[in-house]
Amino acid sequence: MDIHVDKDACVGCGLCVKDCPMHVYELQNNVSVAVRPNNCMGCLSCHEICPAQALEHRGIYAARRHYIDIKVCEMLRKVV
Amino acid sequence: MSGGYIDELHEAFHSDLIYRSEDIPLDCSPKPKEMEQTLHGVMKLNGLIIRSLEEIAGRGANAVTYRAGKKFGHEVAKYFQKRDDVEGALHELSDLLRGQYSFEVWKPEDKETFIIEENGETFIYLVFHDCIVRQTLRRNGLDQGGPLCQTLFGYVVGAIEEITGRKAKLEIVHTGPNACLKKLVLK
Ligand code: SF4
Ligand code: SF4
Repeated sequence: MDIHVDKDACVGCGLCVKDCPMHVYELQNNVSVAVRPNNCMGCLSCHEICPAQALEHRGIYAARRHYIDIKVCEMLRKVV
Repeated sequence: MSGGYIDELHEAFHSDLIYRSEDIPLDCSPKPKEMEQTLHGVMKLNGLIIRSLEEIAGRGANAVTYRAGKKFGHEVAKYFQKRDDVEGALHELSDLLRGQYSFEVWKPEDKETFIIEENGETFIYLVFHDCIVRQTLRRNGLDQGGPLCQTLFGYVVGAIEEITGRKAKLEIVHTGPNACLKKLVLK
């Protein structure tokens, strides 16, 4: 897995470090660094918890999302 | 467990996609037409949950849903080929779950093999990618790992027992928005 942390966006809160079950991240100089990217199993809990949206995963399998309402998506497409 | 099947699984779950954080998801994937198979799965599952609830009402939600899932697993897997090897059983299981759940065999970096022996236990890590239970929970704003997840546990255990004739146990390690890590303990 190829994990990128946007160093400018990261606020160094350490939430991803605490939340990742595979201990992929470490805080170094107040910025999160993916030190064990091969241990990532793609749960994306870190994306959900990061307040700065600083994370990017490359080569991930995106699970199906039937739960997202099609009508809501259609409405949002019109305004976003 | 031979490398070929594992490599095939890894290939199926690898992509060149770049996944960025997003404010509001604008897409519902896959296309609505492809949802039918999944929705049938949900309906069947719910029917069995209710039936099991009548049978053992009062014993606690987890017991009920686990039992419903296990019944579903046995019921569906009895039409599949019986296998005594774990690799073959997982292959049968992924065929069985297609359209509702998808998983791959996984191991942490420091483990040599996919079948792990630790503290007297033999187990395999499974990463569940597509999952109707996760989708149902997120659709309703409910936490993962509760009673509805027990249906999947029961389902997998029931199917593995039916296919291999061996007792099995599934433990939750982590639940995430895109994938969940589970431990299949072989007895
Ligand atoms: S996707 Fe999951 S396993 Fe991977 S880095 Fe994020 S929290 Fe850790
Ligand atoms: S959760 Fe986001 S902002 Fe906080 S340390 Fe991790 S990457 Fe940085």
